Amino acid sequence: MSTQALHATTTTRPAGLLARPGAIPALLLAPCLIWIFVFFLLPLGLMCWRSLASEGFSLAAYATLFTSPLYLKVLLTTVKMASIATVCALLLAYPIAYTLTVTSGWLRGAILLFVLIPYWVDIIVRSFSWLIMLGDNGLINKALIGLGLVSEPLALLYNAFSVLVAMTQILLPITVVTLFGAMLRIDRTLMAAATIHGAGEWQAFRTVFFPLSLPGVYGAGLLAFILALGFYVTPALLGSPKETMIAQTIMIEASQLLDWAQASAAGAVLLVITTAIATVYNRYFSLDRLWGGSEP
Amino acid sequence: MDRSADIARTSGAGLELRNLSKAFGGVRAVDRVSLDVPAGAFVSLLGPSGSGKTTTLNLIAGFLAADTGDILLDGRSVADVPPHKRNIGMVFQSYSLFPHMTVADNVGFPLRMRTRLSREEARTRVAGMLELVQLAHLAARYPRQLSGGQQQRVAMARALVSHPSLLLMDEPLGALDKKLREQMQIEIKHIHRSVGTTVVYVTHDQAEALTMSDIVVVMHQSRIAQVGSPRALYESPASLFVADFLGDSNLLPGRITGIAGTQATVELGNGQVIRATRGEVAAAAGQKTVVLVRPEDMRVDAPSEGQDVVRGRITEVIYHGDAYRLEIAVGAVRLKVKVARLAGAGMEPGQDVQIAWASDAARLLPVEESPGAGPSPDEG
Repeated sequence: MSTQALHATTTTRPAGLLARPGAIPALLLAPCLIWIFVFFLLPLGLMCWRSLASEGFSLAAYATLFTSPLYLKVLLTTVKMASIATVCALLLAYPIAYTLTVTSGWLRGAILLFVLIPYWVDIIVRSFSWLIMLGDNGLINKALIGLGLVSEPLALLYNAFSVLVAMTQILLPITVVTLFGAMLRIDRTLMAAATIHGAGEWQAFRTVFFPLSLPGVYGAGLLAFILALGFYVTPALLGSPKETMIAQTIMIEASQLLDWAQASAAGAVLLVITTAIATVYNRYFSLDRLWGGSEP
Repeated sequence: MDRSADIARTSGAGLELRNLSKAFGGVRAVDRVSLDVPAGAFVSLLGPSGSGKTTTLNLIAGFLAADTGDILLDGRSVADVPPHKRNIGMVFQSYSLFPHMTVADNVGFPLRMRTRLSREEARTRVAGMLELVQLAHLAARYPRQLSGGQQQRVAMARALVSHPSLLLMDEPLGALDKKLREQMQIEIKHIHRSVGTTVVYVTHDQAEALTMSDIVVVMHQSRIAQVGSPRALYESPASLFVADFLGDSNLLPGRITGIAGTQATVELGNGQVIRATRGEVAAAAGQKTVVLVRPEDMRVDAPSEGQDVVRGRITEVIYHGDAYRLEIAVGAVRLKVKVARLAGAGMEPGQDVQIAWASDAARLLPVEESPGAGPSPDEG
């Protein structure tokens, strides 16, 4: 088909650049490729270059990164916070996504809407609203004191708890939607097959639906984790210095200490970690399935 | 083989449907269906798509609740019994094997859910079932590593392993090619005979229903059109729809001129008078009627005593390998005639011929009053 089209081109046009095989696909792809290069690859390349060549070529910035106890601690905190938030988001999202698969019509639409509305609200706004909720005079403490459950306001803010609550809430919509997409691809007649062959509702879920939903769980978890690694506003607004995450450190290096080499190096390391996770996942579960692609 | 058949041996349950109805959004999908299936029988629900056969199957399985009516297994109502406690096995259209389990685990699933067999006993039972469907060597494979026919057998084994008293099959051979389908039909029959369970088999393929069943239930527009043995349905259909849906048919419209016992004389549209068997059909002289003659009962040769003869012109000669299909124009009517390979060899379109059939091969059909109840040949 494509060769025929190319032959047609050669016969109707004078020989030129366009007549070369592959010239037209290349031309059509060009705007996209140029866009990706200018706005994506070029800045990334510059960042990597800057991390290596601030004062002549050196790996000093990376050496600092991996030897300074501060950076190691920040990296560890980042991975720890991202992991906990991811697990919490998955635990909350799974029942919601499952409910979506067994409902239909307006009810499904309504649940999806309530899941997605927070997603459309800016991250800064969502983080700020947790300030209002969790503060000493916030809704939760006032309610607890009002009910007489506690006499002093609980320290809900500026600690790991507040950061994790907000991170989980911010990750929830994307986790629900990803899980829901994966669950929709599970053939419902398999549940019927389990039922007619003796499995009660819970057994059918446990033996058939849940195992088949695990790739979706891993996929959604991966996505949430990668997003969580890069959180900046939320720990900055709701956390204490103890919850400092890598993105905050990068920001401080770049904007306050003006140590661009160090900031770039940290950025590059973050990039490598996320790419590595995605690659390993893709190796075993195929990322295509996350976006609705076919089974491997 | 015998040992594995013993392992799978069970006693089928009698199935009774009483006045079963189910509507979806005001549209009746199953309309007052009553049926009595003796224990151990092989019953086919046959009908075009949308005739209600799959809904009926889902009602029996318990996936749907009937609006009215009752379902009885061995005389006991199962209306309030959830599907997983009905002791039914089922083969789904797309097999619906569990993709994350091996063949052996798929087959063992009903045992793990339904029985308290020891691991060892369960393993023996699974091995026996796999032997019965000739897949013992593939026990460790996953469904996606199997061909369609092999998946079909695994689905059979899974459906039968826990000795269900009723086996439901929803167009199980639809996805297979013709050759494999015919082979599987024989195998399913064989398994049914050696296992002994009652089978309800849904299909839209009339040849499949005729080949495999003890009883065929023809469904049309959410209702049962006729119930009977394959032979009874094919040779004495009770309605135009059944006559047309089962096999090829020539339907000759005419008017009854006389009735004598089980015989009738009919005047066709072209003025010719033929004899037909009345059977059980209520008929009176002067009534409009339709006469059914199967293409394979017609002969294109010289007329003789005791046979009805019409004249026509061949318009089409189609070679089928084992036979020829002729289309012959008789006035405004087109007749389909099937003739043996040797007899049809010299025939050409344009040739004038005489068509003959034995008068007991012509059957009177009742003319339905309700509009839309007529044959719909495109739904075969």
